Amino acid sequence: MASDPIAQDAPLLAARRITKSYGAVEVLHDVDFDVRPGEVHALLGENGAGKSTLVKILSGFVQPTTGSVLLGGQPVSFAQMREAEDAGIVLIHQDFNLAELRSVEENIFLGREITKGPFTDRTAMQARARELLDRLNCAVAVTARVRDLPVADKQMIEIAKATSRNASVLILDEPTAVLTKQETDTLFALLGRLKAAGVGIVYISHKLAEVELIADRITVLRDGEVIATVPAHSISQDDMARMMVGRELTDFYPHIAAPAEDAEVLLQVSELASGPEVLEASFALRRGEVLGFAGLQGAGRTALMEAIVGLRPVSRGRVELRGRPVSLRSLTEAKAAKLAYLTKDRKGKGLLLGSDLVRNFSLLALDKFATPFIDKRRERAAFHRAAKRFDLRAAGPAMKASSLSGGNQQKLLLAKVLEIEPEIIIIDEPTRGIDVGAKAQIYGFIANLIAQGCAVIVLSSELLELIGLSHRVAVMHAGRLTAILEGAAINEEEIMRHASGLTAAGASAA
Amino acid sequence: MTLQGMKIDLKAVGPLAALIVLMVLGTAINDAFLSFGNLTNILTRSAFIGIIAVGATFVISSGGIDLSVGSMAAFIAGAMIIVMNLLLGVTDQLLVIVVCGVAFGAVLGLVAGWLNGILITRGGIEAFIVTLGTMGVYRSLVTYLADGGTLSLNFDVRSVYRPVYYDNLLGLPYPVLILALTAIVGYVVLNNTAYGRHVQSVGASEDVARYSAINTDRVKVIAFMIQGVCVALATIVYVPRLGSASSTTGLLWELEAIAAVIIGGTLLKGGYGRIGGTIAGALILTLIGNILNLTDAISNYLNGAVQGVIIIAAVLLQRGMGRQQG
Amino acid sequence: MRLWNGTLAGVVALGMASVATASLAQDVKIGVSIPAATHGWAGGLNWHAAEAKRRLEAQHENLEIVIAASGSAVEQANALEDLVSVQQIDALVILPFESDPLTDPVKQVKAAGVFITVVDRGLSETGIENIYVAGDNPGFGRSAGDYMVEKLGGEGKVVALRGIPTVIDDQRMNGFTAAIDGSGLELLGAEQANWNRDKAFEVMQDFLTRFQDIDAVWAADDDMALGALEAIRQANRQGEMFLVGGGGMKQIVKGVADGDETIPVTVLYPPAMIATAMDLTVARFFSNGPVEGTFNLSSPLITKENAEAFYFEDSPY
Repeated sequence: MASDPIAQDAPLLAARRITKSYGAVEVLHDVDFDVRPGEVHALLGENGAGKSTLVKILSGFVQPTTGSVLLGGQPVSFAQMREAEDAGIVLIHQDFNLAELRSVEENIFLGREITKGPFTDRTAMQARARELLDRLNCAVAVTARVRDLPVADKQMIEIAKATSRNASVLILDEPTAVLTKQETDTLFALLGRLKAAGVGIVYISHKLAEVELIADRITVLRDGEVIATVPAHSISQDDMARMMVGRELTDFYPHIAAPAEDAEVLLQVSELASGPEVLEASFALRRGEVLGFAGLQGAGRTALMEAIVGLRPVSRGRVELRGRPVSLRSLTEAKAAKLAYLTKDRKGKGLLLGSDLVRNFSLLALDKFATPFIDKRRERAAFHRAAKRFDLRAAGPAMKASSLSGGNQQKLLLAKVLEIEPEIIIIDEPTRGIDVGAKAQIYGFIANLIAQGCAVIVLSSELLELIGLSHRVAVMHAGRLTAILEGAAINEEEIMRHASGLTAAGASAA
Repeated sequence: MTLQGMKIDLKAVGPLAALIVLMVLGTAINDAFLSFGNLTNILTRSAFIGIIAVGATFVISSGGIDLSVGSMAAFIAGAMIIVMNLLLGVTDQLLVIVVCGVAFGAVLGLVAGWLNGILITRGGIEAFIVTLGTMGVYRSLVTYLADGGTLSLNFDVRSVYRPVYYDNLLGLPYPVLILALTAIVGYVVLNNTAYGRHVQSVGASEDVARYSAINTDRVKVIAFMIQGVCVALATIVYVPRLGSASSTTGLLWELEAIAAVIIGGTLLKGGYGRIGGTIAGALILTLIGNILNLTDAISNYLNGAVQGVIIIAAVLLQRGMGRQQG
Repeated sequence: MRLWNGTLAGVVALGMASVATASLAQDVKIGVSIPAATHGWAGGLNWHAAEAKRRLEAQHENLEIVIAASGSAVEQANALEDLVSVQQIDALVILPFESDPLTDPVKQVKAAGVFITVVDRGLSETGIENIYVAGDNPGFGRSAGDYMVEKLGGEGKVVALRGIPTVIDDQRMNGFTAAIDGSGLELLGAEQANWNRDKAFEVMQDFLTRFQDIDAVWAADDDMALGALEAIRQANRQGEMFLVGGGGMKQIVKGVADGDETIPVTVLYPPAMIATAMDLTVARFFSNGPVEGTFNLSSPLITKENAEAFYFEDSPY
């Protein structure tokens, strides 16, 4: 991806000397940023570094305090997103912006319906939607209701919607967070075609490998300032991480000692089945062990864990806790058994976004503080203790959870769940959508839990994370636990082979 | 942190400010407005809606709605009157009869609330539909019990029961006292107990609540039971006022209670409740009627319009003040 | 096409039936359409209608009476359609919710050959009904006003509690103001209390706050009179003023009979008028003499002396 020829081109869209303050807090300081036709310009930075604010300013969502946005060299000011879209600038949000109850086609053309006289031309829109989705190798039916689709398809619909706008500048915020490897490849191929057509692409991601693969230029933001803007081929992933965090990342994955040979089996699951999602799973978890769970979207990992903790009914099989058979019917019973579950859906199921930090923190362990009246002083003290322990960076306990960065939200969720002092902790996607610094911290917390004698199950779609953390990795495919890998067998190829079902027959024989 | 604290304080001031504006208006219109008699009238009159609205604050905070409270009040009133009149044939201890009637009303309220809650959670039907249904059922039942007319409490029983509405403790009428007690208990439960937090969490996000080991169905059923008990309590205070119940008893109380709750700053979509605001809301509603009765300046035919405008203005004031801080 | 034939056949059959019922041997079906029991007076109306049905059906073997109570003018119009097409009535006794909206629907019923009796409120067009049992709403207010003028000797201050804003409410109020106009009685204020006891209690409380001197209170209905009475008692001002309601509610009639000084009289506007109308309509079919024309019911005073005659222990009103 040679970047030299395009360096000469005039920028399509540029931010010049942008400063943005909310009250006394300055979130962007004197930022210069531009994107040229036919390039992918990656924007890197830890959560809270100001990336989101910058792209919101670029796409007309937010007005800068000082400085200007230039479109084709002319200063512009968009009163609303629609104007920016009309000017060819399209932002794809990290959190989807879709009408869940409407169909795929209706979403793609929402607000820009193709009409024939006074009526919408449904046939034309469906045909066009099909065409756009085909370009993304996305087989989803255009008449399907968005609510019923997996997240990966929703992401594809967002991208199809953006491309339908004939954008000249496309801004993507963490587009691959929910995509599989194949889906990511398809997306990159599409981005390649858009690039060739002269579209300028701003690309935000935490996955440094992806950035290295796709970006032409890289800009790193830290604490609201531009640290550097460099050609992508000039720096390594380590350099990127170092610039983002501002320090050396010596050991990204902490060393976690292997459990003792005779370590107590805390959780034993035998031939468990739950609805159509989980067909059969058997595994054991020992004290002091990190057990990773790998699998493709829809392999049944989350459903399996929810069945174990009592969030969904078990149709067959046995669960034993510390050698005693149990059948947990609710999370309350799981809590009593010192079993904790962190959902991957932080915003939908983990945190009350509109509530303050203290209320979120104490919600699960509330009976600890209510006897029967809530001791608010003790509650607050516990919160401060946890905030310190998990390095929670927030303006104050009365702040709303929605204003926290992704990393801090994850830390808050961790603090909330660990407040019940569990022995067995199941973490679904511990680091999805959070920055490198916070990732390292979360890994550290997991290591600490193990050191304290807990056992941890980690579900992740990032293979490197599973490989770096786990003592053993269980792999699921199509509702079945098909393999448990140990030692040298824990590597990307082996995991992917089992996850994609290529060895399903062999594994069940083993 | 202090900024956040201020924001909440100012939000609470919204309904209070509307209340003060109305008081000033009332004083300007008629000197008698600030008389002790008129003020106690207003407070006493607010008691029914106020007590019911405390319950409604729980239901609405939990993300539900109860349209049946007005008919439920009429039904409980009718049933209490029938039971007390019947007991007259069993015993001549009037006090015993009244106590039994009151206990019966309380139990009836609890059961009616439980029924709403169970239909919503077990039946999986929207609260709006369930309570719309029970609203019709209770309204018809009271009309049926009263044979289309009015159920009247026996005169002797009523003379024993009458003080519950008309007497006072140290100048404070009993209905006002009961309203104050209900509000205080409601405040403490909503703000200082695990249940209160759970109610608001369920209203904010049922999923998050479920993933936080909260039995969401139980929380909802209890909210409706609290509502039922509050309706019963209001009815217990209401019956001695006129000693009668008819098909028009409690008409539109459900809408007044919901309006009081929303004026007070509780979110209609759930997740956040405010008892103090609810009481202010109930007082505002009563004040509007009182002031309109004290003046000829506005045509009778426009009463509804004035009420509507003031309700919307009160909510705008409160939301506006909240936003300025944001 | 089939549907059309069916409807046509129904209409023809109906026409034949109504012709045939003139002879005594045939079955007679009478439809009674009245407002639902949403307030006290209407409750009384429903009760009297049901009583009359029981009594009349016991008297006449081949008589059937169908009562349809409706919650609004629109519902009542629908009910009329059902009475004609489903019940195939020979005569209709109707107390219209409102005059204007129901004039046309009643005309349609008439066109189907049905005998029409209108009660209380007249229709907007004359000549539709065969029998009209007319209530006197202006007289309802006038009787009360006249009594106050006489009792207060042409000097005093009065307040008024009105019903729900409707034509009837206006007629009563106008009758009342016409009666006290120029008499020296001063109308301090008039507020809507919606024919509702609770609302009347609150409105009266506020009148008592607002006016230090009130000599008489007029309530456009006995239900409201009861609520107002309770407010006067609460304020302990029974001695200062008296109250005149109207309708003939049994608690009020009893109070008048017992000589309660606060309610010396009330005005008769009996819900039993529906029974009168039903009697007349039945007589049209079962007696030899012709029964048609207008019957005016006046709104006389019920006083201590004649109260006994207007007291019905079992009536809900």
